[in-house]
Amino acid sequence: MSLASAIRDRDVAELPSKRDEDWRWTDLRGLVRVLPEPSRPANPSSAGPFDALAGDVRVSTNGGTVTPVVIAAGETAAVALRFVSRGAGAHLAAVDVTVGAGARLVLLESYESDEASVAQVSLAITLASGAIVERIVLAQDDAEAVCVSYAQVVLGPSAKFHQTIVACGARRQRLETRVLHPGGGAELRLDGVYLLANKAHSDQTTVVTHTGTDGLTVQLTKGVVRDQARGVFQGKIVVDEGADRTDARMGHHALILSDRAEVDAKPELEIYADDVACAHGNTVGALDEDALFYARQRGMSQAEARSLLTEAFIGEVVDHIGHDGAREVVCAWVAERLRG
Amino acid sequence: MVAVRQTVEHVENLEKYKHGFVTDIEQDFAPKGLNADIVRFISAKKKEPEWMLAWRLDAFERWQAMDEPDWAKVSFPKIDYQDSYYYAAPKEKVGLNSLDEVDPDILETYKKLGIPLREQEVLAGVIGAPRYAVDAVFDSVSVVTTFKKELAQVGVIFCSMSEAIREHPELVQKYLGSVVPVSDNYFACLNAAVFSDGSFVYVPPGVRCPMELSTYFRINAENSGQFERTLIIADKGSYVSYLEGCTAPMRDENQLHAAVVELVTMDDAEIKYSTVQNWYPGDPQTGKGGIYNFVTKRADCRGDRSKVSWTQVETGSAITWKYPSCILRGEGSSGEFYSIAITNGRQQADTGTKMIHLGANTRSRIISKGISAGRSSNTYRGLVSAHPKAKGARNFTQCDSLLIGKHCAAHTVPYIEARNGQAKFEHEATTTRLSEDQLFYVMQRGLSQEEAVQLLVNGFVKDVLQELPMEFAVEAQKLVAISLEGSVG
Repeated sequence: MSLASAIRDRDVAELPSKRDEDWRWTDLRGLVRVLPEPSRPANPSSAGPFDALAGDVRVSTNGGTVTPVVIAAGETAAVALRFVSRGAGAHLAAVDVTVGAGARLVLLESYESDEASVAQVSLAITLASGAIVERIVLAQDDAEAVCVSYAQVVLGPSAKFHQTIVACGARRQRLETRVLHPGGGAELRLDGVYLLANKAHSDQTTVVTHTGTDGLTVQLTKGVVRDQARGVFQGKIVVDEGADRTDARMGHHALILSDRAEVDAKPELEIYADDVACAHGNTVGALDEDALFYARQRGMSQAEARSLLTEAFIGEVVDHIGHDGAREVVCAWVAERLRG
Repeated sequence: MVAVRQTVEHVENLEKYKHGFVTDIEQDFAPKGLNADIVRFISAKKKEPEWMLAWRLDAFERWQAMDEPDWAKVSFPKIDYQDSYYYAAPKEKVGLNSLDEVDPDILETYKKLGIPLREQEVLAGVIGAPRYAVDAVFDSVSVVTTFKKELAQVGVIFCSMSEAIREHPELVQKYLGSVVPVSDNYFACLNAAVFSDGSFVYVPPGVRCPMELSTYFRINAENSGQFERTLIIADKGSYVSYLEGCTAPMRDENQLHAAVVELVTMDDAEIKYSTVQNWYPGDPQTGKGGIYNFVTKRADCRGDRSKVSWTQVETGSAITWKYPSCILRGEGSSGEFYSIAITNGRQQADTGTKMIHLGANTRSRIISKGISAGRSSNTYRGLVSAHPKAKGARNFTQCDSLLIGKHCAAHTVPYIEARNGQAKFEHEATTTRLSEDQLFYVMQRGLSQEEAVQLLVNGFVKDVLQELPMEFAVEAQKLVAISLEGSVG
């Protein structure tokens, strides 16, 4: 039961629906009545947002194959990975990313679509011991597109994985990350931003499973929704029996800037070990009236004050991006959307 | 670490369940099993009017078409609904007029449980001591309701559901099933078909109920299920505080308790509903026996500025599966949920609340404290939602879990759905074990390890205990201690 199997088998009955607990706020079966024809090979015909930052740019257009990303032990690399949809067809793409012991990788991923395409991208990311990966995902899908990205991440001992997903939504957009966390000094940071307007929908789902002792997970997702947009956050942290001394913290905070926008959240903890410190916090609300008033009395217009406060709100996440060039690209992208 | 290990050992050496005795009395049973004739049998036994029987049969028909839900984080063997008695009542004595005619064995049962059924016993205490009226439900029937006359003087109706169906059909017909519809869920639907007894309360406009009302549920018969139905209506500007308590004998088989509680508040009315649930939790070593407590509790805050407050102390039951909820319909209405859920041995609990904000400026507050020990599993599951019209809705949720031991589990599954820009929702949750540092600090001040754990656990649940009516808070505190005997004294 997934978008991938529905596209493969050309059968809408395999689409996840709101009756499936994990998809209750991202109903695909109710939306996609007929699957479009398979996409035809095409040319990306534009540059990707991170092209200038990576020596190695790989593009999958309309499900075209991409050679697996393999970083040998001890090496350092920056790879841009573009998933491009041209036209309104349906397609699947899959990429394996393997990072050797002690290697460093900056993975600059982008989703670019221009019409009502239906696509699923599957990634398998494996980090050997001591590997360090920073994954930055910029999902700029078309307002009519349906896109699911599914990443399965496996951490080696003392590996570090730092992820930031930035999304502006689509007709339906789901960015799902599942991490197997062995503990043993491995560190995980999962951050996310969604900026939604009009009728956009964006779903950021994460599942982190701690299987060993001494694991660290820090999560922070922030969103701004306006008009009739809908933001969804589902975060789940599982601590297996015996995964003692796990330290996991999750935060999700959203601003609703219109009367008809919606935010749905499910921050979940599933704990089977006693010596742990796990916490989550979740807030949903409007901009703080007092802060707005303060900014206005310093001479700002209402619009300026609002954009200053929302930018500062989102800035907390964007500032965590370690790669300077990527942070600048994301910063500019966020600023443009918040002001527009 | 030594302190924690000792705590775990203590918890494992649990004291036996104190209310596990059986009262040996003659009882009337319906034939075993469940079919339309059993539904008719129950209705006839209760001398119900035609409309009530029709309501039950309709519910039974719908129930047969439903599937048993399985989404909760609890696991249990499939229930055989045909292998249970749906009606069990102490043999009726002809023309029961006063308490003196109630079977002395039943009176003795309640005495043993510490429930005052004789009004003079309640009054015999210190002058000015708080009084409370009791409706005592024994298996499928209400055996006695105290202080009815005194309550009637101020217009408060407090009686068993069977009596209400006979004496106040207009109120029952108007409100029964209006908060929890017949086919709301599988267990509520089963309850609608076979419900036996429960309490009915109506507080007229402007009346502040002069005493605490309470119901004491006791399962006694073997192989029987208890399906009580409670309906409380607080009319405009009224106030009532209601408490329910529950116990059952120790048995090797599982018994089903599927109750429905409906609360209705009109403008400016308030209901405070407290539960101290101590059904038999099953054998802590093997997990054999114990009550399945699958209950639907819901409040409809229909009136503007009305308020419902749920407080629950859940220590018993093999499996607890319930979500006391508030539908905040009236403008400015508010809902509160304070919960302590303790699981030990092999117990499983999946409990929490739903706060559904429909009206403008509605407020809700959720404080949930879960403690899991032994090999138990404790889940908080809750929903907070704001409708587009619920401008200015406000929620604060805090759910904390405490783990004692290596083999227990604690889960937190909150759902938050905000559908307008003027709602403000805050949620925070933590899961930890008893802090070594705090234990050490308290013990170096001269407290024994037991006292230290007791102090810390009491501190952990304090926010909820202080919401209980005073006379029950003491009782609940003791219950918390017994449930975690060994670690909390």
